[in-house]
Amino acid sequence: MKATSYNLFMSALYGGRKGIRPPAGNPTSIACVELMKACGAFFPEAHLNARAMADLALAGHKLAGFDTVMPEYSVHQESAALGCEMDWGNETRMPDAKTAPHLDFSDVIVPESILEKPSLRVVLDALSILRREVGGQVAIIGKVMGPWTLAYHMAGTQNFLLQLGLGEKDKINRMLRQLMPVTIAFANAQFRAGADAVVLADHATGNLVGPYHYRDYLLPIHQEITARVGGPMILHVCGNCLDRLELFAESGVDAYHFEWQVDAKAAVEKIGDRISLIGNLNNPKTLFQGTPEDVYKQARYAIEAGVDIIGPECAVPLTTPLANLRAISAAVLDGY
Amino acid sequence: MHESVQRIKESIIEGRHKEIESLVREICKTEITLDTVIQEGLIAAMDVVGQKFGAGEIFVPEMMVSAMTMKLGLNIVKPLLTGKAGAPKGTVLMGTVKGDLHDIGKNIVIMMLEGAGFQVIDLGVDIDVEKVVAKVIKIRPQVLGLSALLTTTMPEMKRVIEELGAHGLRDRVKVMVGGAPVDAAFAEKIGADGYGKDAAQAMALARSFVGL
Ligand code: B12
Repeated sequence: MKATSYNLFMSALYGGRKGIRPPAGNPTSIACVELMKACGAFFPEAHLNARAMADLALAGHKLAGFDTVMPEYSVHQESAALGCEMDWGNETRMPDAKTAPHLDFSDVIVPESILEKPSLRVVLDALSILRREVGGQVAIIGKVMGPWTLAYHMAGTQNFLLQLGLGEKDKINRMLRQLMPVTIAFANAQFRAGADAVVLADHATGNLVGPYHYRDYLLPIHQEITARVGGPMILHVCGNCLDRLELFAESGVDAYHFEWQVDAKAAVEKIGDRISLIGNLNNPKTLFQGTPEDVYKQARYAIEAGVDIIGPECAVPLTTPLANLRAISAAVLDGY
Repeated sequence: MHESVQRIKESIIEGRHKEIESLVREICKTEITLDTVIQEGLIAAMDVVGQKFGAGEIFVPEMMVSAMTMKLGLNIVKPLLTGKAGAPKGTVLMGTVKGDLHDIGKNIVIMMLEGAGFQVIDLGVDIDVEKVVAKVIKIRPQVLGLSALLTTTMPEMKRVIEELGAHGLRDRVKVMVGGAPVDAAFAEKIGADGYGKDAAQAMALARSFVGL
């Protein structure tokens, strides 16, 4: 196998032949202020303008040395299209939705032309730019929010969790089912626009909700999503999910992107033979506050544990030092 | 323990919010003291809930329902408390620091503190340092509780403590801090009076601060 970024990543994603080194990948954002400055594409433009979005993604490959480009930095592209009022933030502040339009669990009516809403169109256009510029050389990763995350945004996180606790099964299932088509349509559109793999981010987060919530509500939905989406998918769920890894392996995704809280060895042991694993550098302590040596060590630990693709655990803090991101690619360059 | 107190406790642990009010109303008609109802029923239940949460047996949705159930019960008992028993144990000001919007944990802490008999004033999320100081001056709480869930907003806690000092208020109010990334070492470093890992610890801290 030629040791191109694209080949190394795709082969690792499918658990295939090993190249000369593991790939570094970022299913979630590695955008940071230093990268923005270096490439001239800043937040909030990089959430709203396809060229800026693509440029910032390219910087992750060119300047931080990752084998992937991933142009979606916020978790709010879909919720903006579904009617949340947005504060798109700035260089040091991620976007945030100001309103939850379905606090009352009223029906979510998905606009027919949702893919043409500016906040979704921009991602599709950015993916196409990336395809034209680095397609076949660098792996292009798209990202969609799953129905669970979208429901947080529609009904308000706390309110959604309360209804879940109250056992309002019908309410919850109805909302998840109404949102699922958005996830499927956006994922398929991303593949058509040029993505090689698409992240399914759905925050049935460890410590927040239980494995039984995932099993009862979300697993069947994830199975349906993965069956109806064309290409390979990477599941992203934050928190300590050691208690639900096996369930994730049944969801039909090709890889799971996991956090530092789950020990790399334990994750590989539990599901490494069934799906690929991506992760799991600690963001707040190591990438954000640590030294490049700390980062390097953790990355090597993950490689030795058998993690297929090495990267941060989640979207990195915006003031993460670029030198620390580079330490990840330095660690993969040293091979297996 | 008296069987009906036990039933109240279980009802809260299980989050059976529909039955709690009638259970508490019934028990208030008996010879069992209100203090027993609160301590051995409501608060003891939330201790168990906190332990189960810590052990990963239950998660936030269940904890929220238990806290809500406890509050429903408490609302029945409160108006019946007279004299010393009815007086608040103290006033706690609670808020999530500047730049931080996470409030689920803070809200659970508030419910617990209310359950323990404190008067709690919720400053909300993303609160300016100046606002905290102004409220401390105006309300004169015994305890100030600060919550932060982001590494990037933890330094705001330090700023609040410094500003309290600059206004000569530092020894008038006990400051407790919490939230997932915060730990005891950080609390000590920034000069807080205490750190609580969960809502039960927050309650224990607040009680110790007012000498209970
Ligand atoms: C829910 C959640 C959200 C929700 C918040 C909804 C809400 N209304 O609160 C939403 C979706 C809005 C959100 C947004 C973001 N989040 Co968030 N979020 C979480 C999550 C999943 C759970 C937090 C939670 O509610 N836990 C449950 C409660 C019960 O626990 P708790 O808050 O720790 O509280 C308990 C104790 O800590 C203690 N306690 C709490 N406060 C206090 C106070 C005192 C005085 C005391 C004594 C005790 C105490 O008692 C509580 C009860 O036991 C965590 C992940 C995690 N596992 O923690 C990430 C997490 C906190 N979020 C994170 C991030 C990065 C973000 C965003 C920046 C994401 C983004 N890229 O846009 C934004 C930031 C928005 C902002 N400016 O604040 C990171 C923070 C990383 C870091 N350490 O810096 C985390 C850790 C996820 C991760 N691994 O990356 N988030």
